Amino acid sequence: MARRAPPKKSSPAKRAPGKPGKAAKSAAPRSARPAKPRLAAAPTAPVRIARVSKGKKPQYFSDPAIDKLLWISLTLMEELSVTRDRLDTVERLLDSRRVLRTSDIEGYTPTEAAARERSDRRTAYVDRVLRAAQAELEEITGRDMPASEADVIAAVEA
Amino acid sequence: MSAPFEEHELLPRPLHDERARQQFVGAFRGHLASRLMPGNYAVYRARVEPGFEREHGRKPADRHEVRAAMQREPSYQFWSAMQRRSQELMWESVIDPTERLLPELVARAKRLARRAGRTARGSLALDPGCVVPRYHTAADIHLQPGGYHTEFTDDDVAAGAVYDRALNIYSAGGTGPRNEVLGELLLNYCRERYPELQPARLLDMGCAIGNSTLPWARAYPDCEVHAIDVAAPQLRYAHARARALGVGVHFSQQNAERTSFPDGHFDVVVSHIMLHETSRSALANILRECLRLLRPGGLMLHLEIPRGRTPLEKFLYNWETWNNNETFAGYMTDADLAALAQDAGFAPDRVEFVDHVVRRSREQRLYSEEPYWKILVARR
Repeated sequence: MARRAPPKKSSPAKRAPGKPGKAAKSAAPRSARPAKPRLAAAPTAPVRIARVSKGKKPQYFSDPAIDKLLWISLTLMEELSVTRDRLDTVERLLDSRRVLRTSDIEGYTPTEAAARERSDRRTAYVDRVLRAAQAELEEITGRDMPASEADVIAAVEA
Repeated sequence: MSAPFEEHELLPRPLHDERARQQFVGAFRGHLASRLMPGNYAVYRARVEPGFEREHGRKPADRHEVRAAMQREPSYQFWSAMQRRSQELMWESVIDPTERLLPELVARAKRLARRAGRTARGSLALDPGCVVPRYHTAADIHLQPGGYHTEFTDDDVAAGAVYDRALNIYSAGGTGPRNEVLGELLLNYCRERYPELQPARLLDMGCAIGNSTLPWARAYPDCEVHAIDVAAPQLRYAHARARALGVGVHFSQQNAERTSFPDGHFDVVVSHIMLHETSRSALANILRECLRLLRPGGLMLHLEIPRGRTPLEKFLYNWETWNNNETFAGYMTDADLAALAQDAGFAPDRVEFVDHVVRRSREQRLYSEEPYWKILVARR
């Protein structure tokens, strides 16, 4: 997932994030040049491209749950293929550079930072595999994939 | 094996895993096309047709009867569900890197559009007032999320970038290293049949990323080549892509049903598998517009997808109609394009709807054993 880095130079005195209210505006001293809203000042959310197509969704099996299960297992099949390709790349590179043996991999324990990165990747992975269920939710709520359980409940109740 | 896909300046470069996903989709679709799709023919002959005959005392008369019978067949259900999912996985595998690189792609497209010098021929004219027709907005054609036309950010080129790479995966490389095979196919047909032709102005309708337009512009370097589409993100991408590849084409955002070009402006009007992505009324309008745009003696060439010869083939070709949002393809299956061209005003003895046979590998065959193309040819 592409995430934009926070802006390097933050200037909270000049411009608070979001639109200042009227009171804030009048209280602030008028500068000679009215400051233009600067896009770089506030972190912008990365652009998301739709993942689900518009149109009638065919049902292939007697029970729609079977359709979803097939969807999920084919995605898992894809991800396993991707993982094997990656492992293959890594193992071949390591071997060609005589860096480590298989026993080194078996004995490895991740550092805290590495474990966190792993966890983020795992979350994104689950998101990808379970998109079948999320797609349905998106259609019901008309919203992008909700991020948290509270968001989901709020979206469904709204 | 087909030649590797050419990585031009505007294509998003996938990371290791993103590429691995695209390669999986390629392998998966190749398997579906070469190992499982022929099973539809086998199961039809072995079980479905005999079963229908037992029940009705005759063979299925048309693709609708075949469809009703095949949809009850578990092996067909399974192939069909997997074919659908392969299409969705294909888009997802291409959207990921496009989304990740989108700000850079937009910047690159702008840079190319501003580029001066020898490669800066051609132009881009977008029309914010151009209404994207309902046959694009009602359902996302080919299941591409957002279709050809949706803009996800300012100056967006995402839909074009997604389409470019996906076309290569969809066709199993069959559209060539630059996705130009369809343009080349129609161009070669044109050159063989009309070797004397030297157009001064040519129009490509429904050009999308301009992949089929460029062979025409290269083949006739003195010709003023125009290409139109209703989708702005495709045209932005097409313009930048043409510049990246050093070919001059004038792109403009226009509906082929009614363009702003003057009467008799073009020597040649072409389209590449565009007609079946329109509508009944749009098709009639487009053919009339072609007649209006051609000078006397001018040539119209529309490349189209075959729709099968037997009821079973017709049913399988229409898989895309029901499962891939090619909603107008069903009508096209039974439409007599030569007659429609005559209705639009072309003289009956100057219109033909021809079969054009080309070679394809097993992975590139989608629904029939003997692939061929259809070409609607007419002279004003």
